[in-house]
Amino acid sequence: MPKTLTRRDMLKITAGAVSAAGLAPAFRRIVIEPFVDPPEEVLPGQANWYASTCRQCPAGCGIVVRTINGRAKKIEGNPLHPLNRGKLCARGQAGLQVLYNPDRLKNAVLQTGGRNSRQFVPLYWPEALDLLKEKIVNLSNPDRLVFLAGLMPDHLYSLSSKLLGALGAAPPVIFDLLSALEGRASAARLSELFFDTPDLPVYDIARSDVVLSFGANLLETWMSPVAQNMAFGSMRQGMMGRRGLLVQCEPRLSATAASADEWIPVRPGAEGYVALAIGRIIVEERLGHVGNHRPQAVLYQNVEVREMAAASDVPVETLHRLARAFADADRAVAIPGGYLAGQRNGIASMLAVQALNLVVAQIGRVGGVYLSNAGPIAELGPKSPVNPFTDILELISRMSAGEIDLLLIHGANPLYELPPAAGFAEAITRVPFVVSFSPFVDETAVWSDLILPDHTYLESWGCQVPAPGADRPVISSQQPVVRPLYDTQSTANVLLGLAAHLGGDAAQALPWTDEPAYLEEIVGSLHSSSLGAYDARTPTDLWALWRQFGGWWSGKEIRREPEMTEIVEQPLPVSEPQFAGEAENYPYTLYPYPSTLLSDGRGANLPWLQEAPDPMTTVQWGMWVELNPDTARDLGVVDDDVVQVESPHGALEAPVVVYPGIRPDVVAIPIGQGHHVYTRFAQSVNGSNPVALLAPVTDPDSGSLAWGATRVRIKLTGKKQTLARLESLDGKGRESLG
Amino acid sequence: MTRWLTLISLLIVAGVIVGVILTRFQVFAAPEQPIAYSHQTHIETGVPCLFCHTSALHSDIAGIPSVQKCMGCHSIIATDDPDVQILAAYWERGEPIPWIRVSKQPDFVYFSHQAHLAASENCEDCHGEVARMSITQPAVKMDMGWCLECHLKQPEEKLARLADCLTCHK
Repeated sequence: MPKTLTRRDMLKITAGAVSAAGLAPAFRRIVIEPFVDPPEEVLPGQANWYASTCRQCPAGCGIVVRTINGRAKKIEGNPLHPLNRGKLCARGQAGLQVLYNPDRLKNAVLQTGGRNSRQFVPLYWPEALDLLKEKIVNLSNPDRLVFLAGLMPDHLYSLSSKLLGALGAAPPVIFDLLSALEGRASAARLSELFFDTPDLPVYDIARSDVVLSFGANLLETWMSPVAQNMAFGSMRQGMMGRRGLLVQCEPRLSATAASADEWIPVRPGAEGYVALAIGRIIVEERLGHVGNHRPQAVLYQNVEVREMAAASDVPVETLHRLARAFADADRAVAIPGGYLAGQRNGIASMLAVQALNLVVAQIGRVGGVYLSNAGPIAELGPKSPVNPFTDILELISRMSAGEIDLLLIHGANPLYELPPAAGFAEAITRVPFVVSFSPFVDETAVWSDLILPDHTYLESWGCQVPAPGADRPVISSQQPVVRPLYDTQSTANVLLGLAAHLGGDAAQALPWTDEPAYLEEIVGSLHSSSLGAYDARTPTDLWALWRQFGGWWSGKEIRREPEMTEIVEQPLPVSEPQFAGEAENYPYTLYPYPSTLLSDGRGANLPWLQEAPDPMTTVQWGMWVELNPDTARDLGVVDDDVVQVESPHGALEAPVVVYPGIRPDVVAIPIGQGHHVYTRFAQSVNGSNPVALLAPVTDPDSGSLAWGATRVRIKLTGKKQTLARLESLDGKGRESLG
Repeated sequence: MTRWLTLISLLIVAGVIVGVILTRFQVFAAPEQPIAYSHQTHIETGVPCLFCHTSALHSDIAGIPSVQKCMGCHSIIATDDPDVQILAAYWERGEPIPWIRVSKQPDFVYFSHQAHLAASENCEDCHGEVARMSITQPAVKMDMGWCLECHLKQPEEKLARLADCLTCHK
């Protein structure tokens, strides 16, 4: 007879559990560990707040970190910082889990069983430095050394460039997926074409009445999301008696589009056409209040509104309505976003959007577009550029040809971030020695020989000039808020140590004893500026106040009016979007979008970000494929059905989210999951990386990766995978799903 | 069957009673510490409480002295004592000493040493005669009844605040 649980058994078990639970607290042993050598400013039990800079994305927001008994407890926005003024996003808040992550590397390691063997043997730092020095000394030619990096703090870029320069090697190659998704390289190119400077412009959303955003998810991950969120709030509620209008043009309804007044689902790659048509209508019909548009007529001489409307799938009436709203506004601004940069006609589309600001005379004006004024900060050192994807392709071909002997990788994870079709995975096997500075074992670190883990940003020194900047000159400070938890070393110190070790030109180029000494020297020179928001009489004063305030900035707004190049006197290019994969075989356009929480996948190692629901689908700990309800019906799939998405370059499987906010000819997949290493948290998620589907194609005008220019097809698998969603699919509140 | 059930029930009741007795006993037991530290020895040599527990006057917590502070004296005092040698070994290794907490308050209690010292309470009012303890052990069961015993005896103008739930349970 099978044993069943009776009521009596249940009572017995309950009584036993209660008595056991009741006894437990009495035997609790609490260990208290005092400091071995306490920092002088620490008073046990009292919190200390340290100002620093967030490094969860390259925006450079100011943070203050509450520490108690030497442990970081909470991160908040720095209320004094001109960029984010006390606000901080979820990714910034989750920074504590970078510091306390149980899967951090705790010391330098050498991979002894060959690449990808994951046999990591701990190494003493002096030995690690000796090894690195030996590899550099043994190079037959300095050209055979390459430093590949993601966007890094300014001081580190400066130090690494100096060291590489002294060795005779090229400066670091900067590329990361988030920068590509934001379109940083294209935005810099656009600025060069329009304003003759690579500085990224600032779009004054806060004081604008009408904002036309073309594929800029400005409330999520694009450029400086916290500053843009604040500006959006001011635009909506901050202007007396006025409420700004936001119109979002993109093929998928992002969280930004959901916050906008209107979402225009433009055909992928045709966003520039919408901008061209709006510009043409304004010029032709002399809309707005800037007088006659004769000087700009030349810009639109090749533009035919009906053609543009048909090609972009936006009705002519809508284009007229948008043109009128944009031109009639007192202050209006058009923003060329990252999605535009991810197309093969990226620069052409971005030019068309920027030209709209010119047509309504909003360049250099309040509520329009302006350039950040660097003030005295401009003299502190070079700013890190972002290399176009073509530079990466060139690097890959050099690696494949065996022209690189030593590859150093910092802050980038190319094996996850680059389309596999670009061939990095194969090329790295041809490089005899690879050094990673990653604090975590990521997809690229497992293909390295030596890992010299950097401190996490809460343990590090640094400085950063935000780009795009604020409304005034700013240089943010970064300082350790806690002592390093483990035997890691800051990469800047490794480079300084290496330079001293190498001697000669390298030692002369990097004469500083350590990282803070270098920072003190470069920042100290600002004490003579009269612009500062606080008084510092000596360089030493400034060094202390710079750390205390979280940076140095001007006390008042100073902007820079851009100077136009002759591009504004030529007809704008009308460039057709092109896609990899022919339309008959691959009927859908793939839209791999940055996850609001995990961004380009760098946040996948943080459980707080994994468990936070995606703002649009409320999925947690997962990845999915978004299909329009009509597309899903045609394919015969419903929510949670697993489909295979296949491009000419790869395939993946993922469950479906039927999503009304997407064009029927587009398939969207969030980027961020699909890690096969990079901590237990990232690995535990059942997901794939949509970058694997991408064709390694570029926009020929900027050289940027055209990450939105791949077509896919969908196959049914017959499998099901139930996604964890905060919001139930039972029907309540989901009536739009039909 | 009934006999078995009765027996099991009795066993559970007996277990709970024994557990409660053990719990009471455990509350006042001195936990085993990594170093056999004697408050008595230190206080007899004239070291005041606040010399080591410096933050009690300025902070919510009294603080346990850092290893560096211990070594400030023990680099030259009693260096041949085996326990001092254990201390010196921690210092050499750069490791904190994992002391076991003696006086406990649950997480839902907000307690401040600073406020109590400011109200002219002495350390021994709550911690007992630590000066006579060679091994530190809890002197009282620090539960809410015990706190209120003193709080309710305070002058009338302070009573409303000191008897308010939110004073300690913020």
